[in-house]
Amino acid sequence: MTDPYSGPPPAAERPAPALERLAPRVVPYWYLSDLLGTIVLAALLFGGTLWLRERTEWWAPVLRWGALGLVAASLVWTLVSPPLAFVRWAFAVDDELLQMRYGIVFHEERVVPVRRMQHVDLVRGPLERLFGLATLVVFTAGNEGSAFRVPGLLAARAAALRDRILRARGDDVL
Amino acid sequence: MTTSSEPPVPLPAAAPPPVLLAGHLHPGVLFLRFVDGVQRAVLPLVLGLAVERWFLALAAVLFVSQMSYGLVRYLTFQFVLTTEELITREGILNRQERRIPIDRIQDLGFESTLLRRLFGLVVVSVETASGSGKEALLDSLGRWEAERLREALLAVRSSRGTASAAAAVQLPPMADEIRLFAATTGELLLRGITDLRIGALLLTALAMLQFANEVPVVELRLLLGKFLQWLQSFPPAVLVALAAGLVLLVLGTGLIAAVAGNLVMFHGFVLGLRGEVLQRRYGLLTTRSKALPLRRVQRVVIEQSWLRRLLGYATVRVDSAGGSMDQSNDSKGGWDVVVPLCERARAEALLPVLLPHLAWDGAIWHAVSPRVVLRLFLKGALLVSLLLAAGLPALGAPALLATVLLPAAFAIGWLTWRNVAWAEVPGQLLLQWGWLGRYRAFVPVRKVQSVIVRAGPVERLLGLATVTVYVAGGSPTALGDLPYADALALQSQLATAAAQSARADWTCRRRADVPAPAAPMA
Repeated sequence: MTDPYSGPPPAAERPAPALERLAPRVVPYWYLSDLLGTIVLAALLFGGTLWLRERTEWWAPVLRWGALGLVAASLVWTLVSPPLAFVRWAFAVDDELLQMRYGIVFHEERVVPVRRMQHVDLVRGPLERLFGLATLVVFTAGNEGSAFRVPGLLAARAAALRDRILRARGDDVL
Repeated sequence: MTTSSEPPVPLPAAAPPPVLLAGHLHPGVLFLRFVDGVQRAVLPLVLGLAVERWFLALAAVLFVSQMSYGLVRYLTFQFVLTTEELITREGILNRQERRIPIDRIQDLGFESTLLRRLFGLVVVSVETASGSGKEALLDSLGRWEAERLREALLAVRSSRGTASAAAAVQLPPMADEIRLFAATTGELLLRGITDLRIGALLLTALAMLQFANEVPVVELRLLLGKFLQWLQSFPPAVLVALAAGLVLLVLGTGLIAAVAGNLVMFHGFVLGLRGEVLQRRYGLLTTRSKALPLRRVQRVVIEQSWLRRLLGYATVRVDSAGGSMDQSNDSKGGWDVVVPLCERARAEALLPVLLPHLAWDGAIWHAVSPRVVLRLFLKGALLVSLLLAAGLPALGAPALLATVLLPAAFAIGWLTWRNVAWAEVPGQLLLQWGWLGRYRAFVPVRKVQSVIVRAGPVERLLGLATVTVYVAGGSPTALGDLPYADALALQSQLATAAAQSARADWTCRRRADVPAPAAPMA
């Protein structure tokens, strides 16, 4: 029986592809983008708590300190997370599967069969362009959790990965 | 006038595929729009007569705009079925044309409200596998014409690549319908009675009382105080009876609502199989009928909520791509229900039909790691310590009551460990979950879109992980508390098998330009 499910274990049949890291310059990129995010958050919260100054109810200082705590926590996370995220992030693409491994607090391992992908996008935000980075986004059919993102790729590498995926899918229109 | 005999509309393509069927909306639609227009105009009309004259103009504008919209749509709307696609066109100034390749059409759903049924009208919804579910809505066609459209569509699809599709349409209907299941009134009654929303209703009522109690509205407190004083003038026996009566009233209302809702929704439920297509028809006021090709089935779930499990009954749901966008709301009208309620054995007997090639008699069920008990106990302990930290300063000794949650957490953990299991049989992944109820999902491995392994801090501490399997329809199926290494092994195995069957699908599709077969090729 050539049943795909009870076949030999995958490792014996096809060596696992070597895991690839993100481009190291993603760390400064993350520092910058997270820092900007924190600044925006701080500005919003500062604006929001301005009118609290006049208030003397018991909850006014609670809100104020809460906002301050939020900004502090965000700042600490901004300082700590980029290198950790870089160390954790790894991915691999071959003709069959896209594998991803990431997450600092919540570890995640994702596997997507290449032929199940509906379309493949390259996304480059303004900051990403500044650093010469790109994000690869692939979509599968389905409603929830159908988008998979690989951030922090060098633009050329991202394009090469996209082409490789499209070739593996059999779309020879490149 | 259902003008299916009208000359076909010329297509811009170089070699236009033959037109099989073309038609317009049913003229009864005009009456529906008239009713809509009256409905819209009635409030300004009343206001105009009673309050201010110019509301009459508003009423007229609303009515006329509704009617003319309906008229324009009726006059311009047109559908054409060719051997390649279903095309709809509408509009005068803003001409809109929509082409849906037949291969992508997932389903034709029929729905008919009470008013439409008077005219023999049905709303035909064309569903594709795209995330948004409904692709086109033909509101409304005559019943006969809608049936013809469906016949033609099914015939074209089943004959693709084999014979001339145009010839196939001329053939009599492909196969007789085999009746798989017909719901009895008793079963529907039982479905209503065991509907757990009754419990939810009671909880909502309690929560609302609680909320009213918390809100610092002085008047309400005073009112409540007076009410309580007034209540205290009664003997305790009367009070207990009153409270019991109130609870019964709430329960009774919920029960009646649930029973009536289920009877109305699923009245006359029939599940049939015609060739490779599942057919469902049901409904008392709004009648629905839906065809679901078996090869579009993404996942089958046999659900037994705790009450139904106690009684030995189950419901069967089928997820198909695209159709189950809104898990939370009722707007899909039970689209995914295949069996509203029947004995568990009967539900399981239907499985080989819903999932051809499923053989799970000898399935070996694997329990999850026993550390799940520890994890849920830790979760409970965390909750208890939070409650104590908040409650002890405020309430004093009574807050210690929270410790009752500790044995409860342990019990839940133990029950979860006893109930959650998974099994692999050729081509299928079987998952079972629930700690009081029992839910069993049957996922064809070839439908797997992606597999994710997740582990939070506590799970990592205990060496556990959650495997989540995504298919193209419905919500993902999660299996928690596997040992980390097992989770990775299962993920790798599933993903590899899915990739293999995806490759088989692709080569098959490319070689013969026919849809992939319903089961892995043997």
